[in-house]
Amino acid sequence: MANIKEYVRNKEGSNIGKIVIDRDLCIGAASCIAVSGETYELDNENKVVVIGADAADDATLLMSAESCPTKAILLFDKAGNKVFPK
Amino acid sequence: MGPEKYKYLIIGGGVAGVTAAETIRTKDETSSIAVINDEPYALYSRVMLSKANFFLGKIPFDEVWLKGEEWYKKNRVAFIGGRLVVFLDAKNKIAVLDDKRQISYEKLLISTGVRTREWDVPGHDKKGIYYLRTLEDGKAIMAAIKSAKKAVTIGGGFIGFEMADLLKLAGLDTTMLLRENYFWEPTLDAASGKMIENALEKTGIKIIKNAEVTEVLGDKNVESVVLKDGTKIECDMIVCGIGVIPPPLEFAREAGVEIKCGILTNEYLETNVKDIWAAGDIAEYKDLLLEENIQLGNWVNAREQGRISGLNMAASCDELGIKKEAFKFVSFYTTQGAGISVAFIGDSRPFPDRQIILRGSPDLNSYERILVVGKELVGATMINRTSELTSVAKLIQNNVDVSAYTSELSNPDFDLKQLLPK
Repeated sequence: MANIKEYVRNKEGSNIGKIVIDRDLCIGAASCIAVSGETYELDNENKVVVIGADAADDATLLMSAESCPTKAILLFDKAGNKVFPK
Repeated sequence: MGPEKYKYLIIGGGVAGVTAAETIRTKDETSSIAVINDEPYALYSRVMLSKANFFLGKIPFDEVWLKGEEWYKKNRVAFIGGRLVVFLDAKNKIAVLDDKRQISYEKLLISTGVRTREWDVPGHDKKGIYYLRTLEDGKAIMAAIKSAKKAVTIGGGFIGFEMADLLKLAGLDTTMLLRENYFWEPTLDAASGKMIENALEKTGIKIIKNAEVTEVLGDKNVESVVLKDGTKIECDMIVCGIGVIPPPLEFAREAGVEIKCGILTNEYLETNVKDIWAAGDIAEYKDLLLEENIQLGNWVNAREQGRISGLNMAASCDELGIKKEAFKFVSFYTTQGAGISVAFIGDSRPFPDRQIILRGSPDLNSYERILVVGKELVGATMINRTSELTSVAKLIQNNVDVSAYTSELSNPDFDLKQLLPK
């Protein structure tokens, strides 16, 4: 069972409905935080947690997921289809 | 036949170079871009190479690729792999490769990264001594652990920490050799170093401090190392993490690019030569927060510098109407292993003029050092306190005056977010 955490996104006009963090993959490189400090934070285990699922626009959110060197951030659209990584 | 022509030429295909190409493409949809890489590979995750789940095969090897060949095709970025630039004519804007190909450019980025420092101890040429920088290095270590029984790691930094943990997890009898008095001296204090040592030792790793290797013994393959005090440690593989050196940069130096430890740039990542930028581990850039030139080697920094350099290369083309941006970023680096997390934020060099405020304690297994110059934070080191990383980074970034809050800063339960500007 993967160690994952899901965060529902309710931002108006957004195509992204869910942010998922795979904690087994996350290594705390924190490049996502450099892209969007309003969305993410680290916990004391050096894993990323989402503090503002609605804070960033879709482009920034996608860029933050793409910046992850271990592909630990997964994005899903409102219908549940995976948007990133493809 | 004249030289191949590209508007934007990027020397170095790591995260800084490829992020620069990606950024340029978002600003300039039509111009030509080429990336020259010394390795034959498209962008991969260099940081993944030393991470447990990948190293031990729990993550499929192909997950290492961050940009496949299709990304370069789709974004019309020409990829020239397995080649080095050997000569640069900055006046006529032509780079010459080691296969004699000539490439002309209008805007040039140097983002070559750095190389691992090689061990020069007698016996260093025996088989079984490894370094970790490239994908080939990573593959070689992953292959070696399948048959090796006893490993030695050399060096007390990130590579030593992560590799010792991984080698032990892979089932090898692992001994770590440190020249220093404690782990990560002098960037960390002795108490932080001891916490890391305790965590590593709990996993069964042996640590020998003040250890200087005088010779590597063995026939063709490594069989043991001998220390200055005569101690002999048997091993069939050695992993060295003893720092980095610049790659060959004669091409840039001869072209008039100013180089100290790295390639000197201003805050816009511009070198002293017109239309040449530098980014990533090789850039010795003007840090606006510290007001001095510094060189940093980590993923986040390289990626951010790639973005800014790409933006500024595009901004130098008047027809695009883009404003250039200064690189102003509080850098950080984190790692975890052996049940402990470690983070360095901003400038954590313990100079004598810096006040060091302690939060938490080794006894609480939660310990942080906040470095203050004058009224402001400049950096921090954290053991098992990475949840405060973003707050500390924002306090540094915003030059928050913390002079009236020394007691709050030393209270580990005080929420640092309360000091952030509203």
